[in-house]
Amino acid sequence: MGLLDFFKKIEPSKDKKIAHTAFDAFFTFAFSPNSVTKGKGVHIRDGMDLKRTMFQVVIALQLCYVFGTYNIGHQHFKALGMYPDLFQAFHLKLFYGLTKLIPLFVVANVVGLGIEFLYAAKKGHSVEEGFLVTGALIPLIMPPDLPLWMLALSVAFAVVLGKEAFGGTGMNIWNIALLSRVFIFFAYPLDISGDEVWVSGLESTKAMSAVDYGWIHTNVLNPIFGWFGGAQYDVGATVADGFTGATPLILAYQDGWEAVTQHYSSAQMFWGTIPGSIGETSKPFIIFGAIYLIAMGIGSWRIMSSMFIGAAISALLMNAWGATPFMTVPWYYQFYMGSFFFAMAFMATDPVTAAGTTRGKLLYGFMIGFVGMIIRVLNPAYPEGWMLAILLFNTFSPLFDHNVLQKNMAKRLKNA
Amino acid sequence: MDFLNLFIKAAFIENMVLAYFLGMCSYLAVSKTVKTAVGLGLAVIFVLGITMPINWLINTYLLDGGIMGMDLTFLRLILFIAVIASMVQLVEMIIEKISPSLYNSLGIFLPLITVNCAILGGSLFMVTREYNLIDSVAFGLGGGFGWFLAVIAIAAIREKIRYSNVPPGLRGLGMAFLLTGLMGIAFMSLMGIDPAALTGK
Repeated sequence: MGLLDFFKKIEPSKDKKIAHTAFDAFFTFAFSPNSVTKGKGVHIRDGMDLKRTMFQVVIALQLCYVFGTYNIGHQHFKALGMYPDLFQAFHLKLFYGLTKLIPLFVVANVVGLGIEFLYAAKKGHSVEEGFLVTGALIPLIMPPDLPLWMLALSVAFAVVLGKEAFGGTGMNIWNIALLSRVFIFFAYPLDISGDEVWVSGLESTKAMSAVDYGWIHTNVLNPIFGWFGGAQYDVGATVADGFTGATPLILAYQDGWEAVTQHYSSAQMFWGTIPGSIGETSKPFIIFGAIYLIAMGIGSWRIMSSMFIGAAISALLMNAWGATPFMTVPWYYQFYMGSFFFAMAFMATDPVTAAGTTRGKLLYGFMIGFVGMIIRVLNPAYPEGWMLAILLFNTFSPLFDHNVLQKNMAKRLKNA
Repeated sequence: MDFLNLFIKAAFIENMVLAYFLGMCSYLAVSKTVKTAVGLGLAVIFVLGITMPINWLINTYLLDGGIMGMDLTFLRLILFIAVIASMVQLVEMIIEKISPSLYNSLGIFLPLITVNCAILGGSLFMVTREYNLIDSVAFGLGGGFGWFLAVIAIAAIREKIRYSNVPPGLRGLGMAFLLTGLMGIAFMSLMGIDPAALTGK
């Protein structure tokens, strides 16, 4: 037990509050407690504690992380008109993505966990691992070029006002990751919407505008690639003619499905080689994560399926109405665009903010699907609706639960 | 169709509480339990739905040059408030008759609907936006329904977080203000939709 001895040796005294909280967090991450319930009681026999539950979600997100990282690089070179095939210049695309994703990930986690440690030390309890999932989700729902101070500010806002003010992990009403995104969305709209922000590393997406490579590309990565004899980042490259950074949703809003297919094929949209928030583009990998969550008993299949049905019904009604080009997009194609599956698999199913009762879950999922599609298609101000729809029905999920409970009570009182 | 448009607009898109922050006092005070919130919310729907058309009639036929061509619009505020106060009195009597327990739990906040700014605000919006009679009914019912939704939503949330470990300084009203702000963000999801423009196409 070398690791255990090591931990015992470095354990700070309990008087040093912050140091001890931090130590405790990492210690319990590495080891599970000795006390477990044995035998056949009515007690919970599996020690599926909060940390392990959260970690399942992080595992389910891994494929999105891998693909999202690579897609940052792929979209970047696509804008330059270089290496159009998916696996061409693999190392350039991968390392480009890493240089974008790692800072986002580090900042989100350092700020969030830092606040978490401070609060845990101040309140005098061990750290709650609630931020594990939030810290993993936040980088995936941001555009790749987001300024880091903005990310830090939004994470601080969401963790302090969205979670710690409510009493910490498991007490929040609104989804923390979405609160941090909605903060940027309303405070700095230019950095998280429009045509320019979804493709990374370009000054703008207009033709002939220059690329903006950082110090690390020219001074560290380029010499290493040169040494191995591979392709290098071309510092003088410019944006190719006829390139647009518009996402399928923006195109569809302007001119309907025809305009989308001129730029992106359905296969591209399905596999996710399109511009967008980092983790949301690839549908098969997200669906894989969703199936993993359902199989592990963490994600609620009721919420996911009712959300899908709600969105489908809403889209069918739009088709029947058909007043704008976006409304005439066939309902099944609506699911190819945007972040529906990411919101469905990882955001709506958050067990803390979703409704808790069975019927409440069905209604909650259905309403998110229904209203989210309305916001996406009918609201000219917002290109995508799931974030706001989920926040809206997080607001109402306690009410749904309340009504279901009251109905059950009334029924049982009648039978009693 | 116009009726429905305006109803949806008043209830969801321009929600009285969460977009204009009107009617906050009773909203914050009676949102501790869902049951009282439902009672007061229904009372607000009723009062708004009744007073708006009455105020419209008064404004159009009495104040705007109705009596011998005199401009009596300076009496607008005081007459609107008189109408609202009498309607509230009516509601109070009805509730006391139908449900004494609700009457007791609402307490002072029932007569205080009289000075609920959402209700006077609705009537004043009606004047500045030049609604007609049908519009004012739609706006009144829609605005009342939006207020009702907001108050029962925050009441359910406050019931849920009653046993949460909220920092001591924030307990009670502080938390209610924070909740209202975050609910306002969530309600911004529908802001910007223009039902009239959609049906016009």
